[in-house]
Amino acid sequence: MHAPVAGRPPPKMVEAFSHPAGSVAAATPGGATAWRGRLLHIHVAPEASYEMEELAEAECVAGRGIVGDRYYNGTGTYSPKPDVREVTLIEQEALDALARNDPPLQDGPIVLEPRDHRRNLTVVGVPLNHLVGRRFRVGDVILRGGRLNFPCKYLEEILGKPVFLPLYNRSGLNCGIERGGIIRPGDVIELLEP
Amino acid sequence: MTARIIMKLRVARARLTAPDVLHLDLVHPLRPELPEWTAGAHVDLRMPDGKIRQYSLCGDPADRSKYEIAIKREPSGRGGSVWAHEHLKEGAIAHVSAPRNNLPLVAAQRTVLVAGGIGITPFVAMAHELTRRGQDFVLHYCARSREEAPLIAELEAICGSRLKCWFSRGGSRFDPAVIGPHDGGTHVYVCGPQRLLDAVQGALADWPEEQIHGEVFQATLDENFKAEPFEAVIASTGQRLLVPADRSLLAVLRDAGFIVASSCELGVCGSCECGYRDGLVIHRDKSLAVGKRQDRMLPCVSRARVSVTLEM
Repeated sequence: MHAPVAGRPPPKMVEAFSHPAGSVAAATPGGATAWRGRLLHIHVAPEASYEMEELAEAECVAGRGIVGDRYYNGTGTYSPKPDVREVTLIEQEALDALARNDPPLQDGPIVLEPRDHRRNLTVVGVPLNHLVGRRFRVGDVILRGGRLNFPCKYLEEILGKPVFLPLYNRSGLNCGIERGGIIRPGDVIELLEP
Repeated sequence: MTARIIMKLRVARARLTAPDVLHLDLVHPLRPELPEWTAGAHVDLRMPDGKIRQYSLCGDPADRSKYEIAIKREPSGRGGSVWAHEHLKEGAIAHVSAPRNNLPLVAAQRTVLVAGGIGITPFVAMAHELTRRGQDFVLHYCARSREEAPLIAELEAICGSRLKCWFSRGGSRFDPAVIGPHDGGTHVYVCGPQRLLDAVQGALADWPEEQIHGEVFQATLDENFKAEPFEAVIASTGQRLLVPADRSLLAVLRDAGFIVASSCELGVCGSCECGYRDGLVIHRDKSLAVGKRQDRMLPCVSRARVSVTLEM
C-alpha cells in the first residue's frame, strides 16, 4: 500500500555513478577498451508484467528512461524502489549461450527471445560486465553503467523458465542516461573517455 | 499471487452464444501461438480502470492460435461484464494475462462434469481434452432452456450423447443422485452457482474430498449480514474516513487517494490485504488464514464495528 498521490509521481532514479557499485567502479581503471558493438533490438513494456514490445526507434530521456517504458512511466515491478533503471541492456552472446545450454546448469537449452528477457536493449559485441562505472555511447545517446543487472525470480515466474541460475553474472547492465536522444537498432556502441 | 505475463490480444471474433453471453476469440496480433494452457485454466481480463476479472478458457487447449472466453452480462454485477459487452467488439484490444489453472483435470477412470449456466466454460475445454484422451466422461449441463445455454452447439458437437441437458423451463431438473454411488475411480467437477455446488457437495458428502473439484469465483457472503457504517483511522496520519453502509472500505480508501491493489474484490484472492490495529473487524473474506486475522484484513469485503485503525 502506498501513501496518497495526486497523479503519478515521477520515478525515483539513482544516478548511475552515485550508485555504490558505479561510484567505486568509476574510480577504478581497467576493463576492456578495444571493442565496438551494435544495438540489435529495443524493447519496452508499458507496465509491470506486460509483454515487451519491439520499437524501430526509441527516445531516451536523460535522468529518466526510454519513453513508453514502465520504468520511464514509474509503473514497473520495481519502480517504488529507487535504483538505476533508466535503461537495461543484455548481451546477445549470453542469450546464445543459454540457447546451447552453456554451462549445463539446467535440463537443457533455454531459448530466450529478445522480447522475453525484459531488458530494454539487446546488444552484440559489448562487454557489459566491464562497463560499470564507464561512459559509452549508443548512437548519439550517452549511457553510464551504474550496476550489473541481477536475475530475478520474478522473471523466472513470468516466463515459466528456469533462467535465474543460467543468467547469474550475465544478466546485463543497468544504466543511467547522461545524454538523451533517439536510438535505433543498428546503432554503433562504443566506449567513451571517463 | 504469482506473476503472469500480460498480453494485448485482439478480438478476432465476437458473437452472442446466448442472449446475455458474449463469446470471444482472442488472438495475438504478432505471434501465431499463444502461451500453452491446460483444460480448466482461466485468464485475467484487465479493465481500463485496473480492475481484473477472471474467465475460464472455453476453447480447445490443443489450439494455440486463439483463446476463447465467454462473458455473461451481469448488469447488477461489479461492472466488468457490462464494460466487456460494450467494448470488446471485433478488432478491439483486450489486456489478458497468460493462463493459470486452478481446476486441473485429474486422470480418472470416469469423469463427471456438472455445470450450471455460465459455469459451463471450463468444461468445454475439458470435454475436448477427455475426448482426445479417449476417456470416459459425462457432462451434465443445467440451464433454463437450450436458447439460454451458452456454448451448447459446441458441446453437442464435442460430446454427442455424453452431454446430458437439464433445462428447467422444460421441466427437467438435475438431481445429483444421477452421479451414482461412490466409486474410487470417478472424479466429479462442479462449476456454477453456489447452490449447485452445495447440492452436489451435499449429495456426495460421503465421497473423499479429493474426488470432488469445484471452482469458487465468488465468496459466500452471509445473507443475514447487515452492513453498518464505521470509521477508518489511518494510523500514520490520523486521517479519519467514514465508510457508509453501502460502500466498501476499499472503495472509501481509493476515494481518499490511497492506492490499494485489488483483484477479485470478493474476498477470495487476497490482493488487497492490509494491516490494522485497534478495532473489532468483521472478517467476511474467504482467504485470510485464521492466524492472520488478528491484525490483517481484506478491505474489499471486510468491515469493522464502529471503528478500525489501519496500518498505512
